[in-house]
Amino acid sequence: MSQGSVILKLISLPISILLICLGIMTILGGHITPGGGFQGGAMIASGIILSILVYGLGNSPLELSHTYIEVLESVGALGFVIFGLIGLFVGGFYLYNVGTDVLNIVPAAIQNVFHYPDVTNAGIIPYLNIFVGLKVFVGLSSIVIAFAGFKKIAEESE
Amino acid sequence: MLSLGPIIFGLILGVIIGSQIKIIDDTHFTLGAFVVIIIAGIIVAWQVGNFPFYTDLPLSTGFLSALIGIFVGKLLFARSK
Repeated sequence: MSQGSVILKLISLPISILLICLGIMTILGGHITPGGGFQGGAMIASGIILSILVYGLGNSPLELSHTYIEVLESVGALGFVIFGLIGLFVGGFYLYNVGTDVLNIVPAAIQNVFHYPDVTNAGIIPYLNIFVGLKVFVGLSSIVIAFAGFKKIAEESE
Repeated sequence: MLSLGPIIFGLILGVIIGSQIKIIDDTHFTLGAFVVIIIAGIIVAWQVGNFPFYTDLPLSTGFLSALIGIFVGKLLFARSK
């Protein structure tokens, strides 16, 4: 099913790696710049998709296994819900920002645990971006992997 | 002051994604090719600047740590095919 020429095959993996790095950078800057979890996750998925389109399913150097997709999708969803529940039980509101604590209702020890280590006072927002980014990255990638798999099955049955 | 957040989480995310890279023989990717990718990545990080507005270093620490994390993940966990 591989459609790429030699030039495409040589250049697509470096571009995929750089696209993935740009996606991670977008996720990590999501709390103070345009972007965030969804946009960064979509950029990471675009790197995976480029690799699968050029090399074909089964030959791609960046191919995600079923277990990997399952685990990251679950970690992304569960992490978001757990951070929301921490805000509910500690601060009284679902998704309350316990790392920033604008209402001064969270103990300082818990606030320090959930405080993102940078110069901004972002609290749990970067962690939520990371979880959303993981979920979007594997979600969009799995759609393309599924479509490529369906095409492969259709080609084999002809 | 160096912002540790993007460095730590860039490395973690890079390792998570780099663990899925596998090198197939017909792609002709040698060690030299990966050194070139690292140099190109450093240039991109330099051109991006101190994104997202952390003034600690003149390059994007999140981008660079993600690149390092991808290669660390590839070296530690990558599968061969």
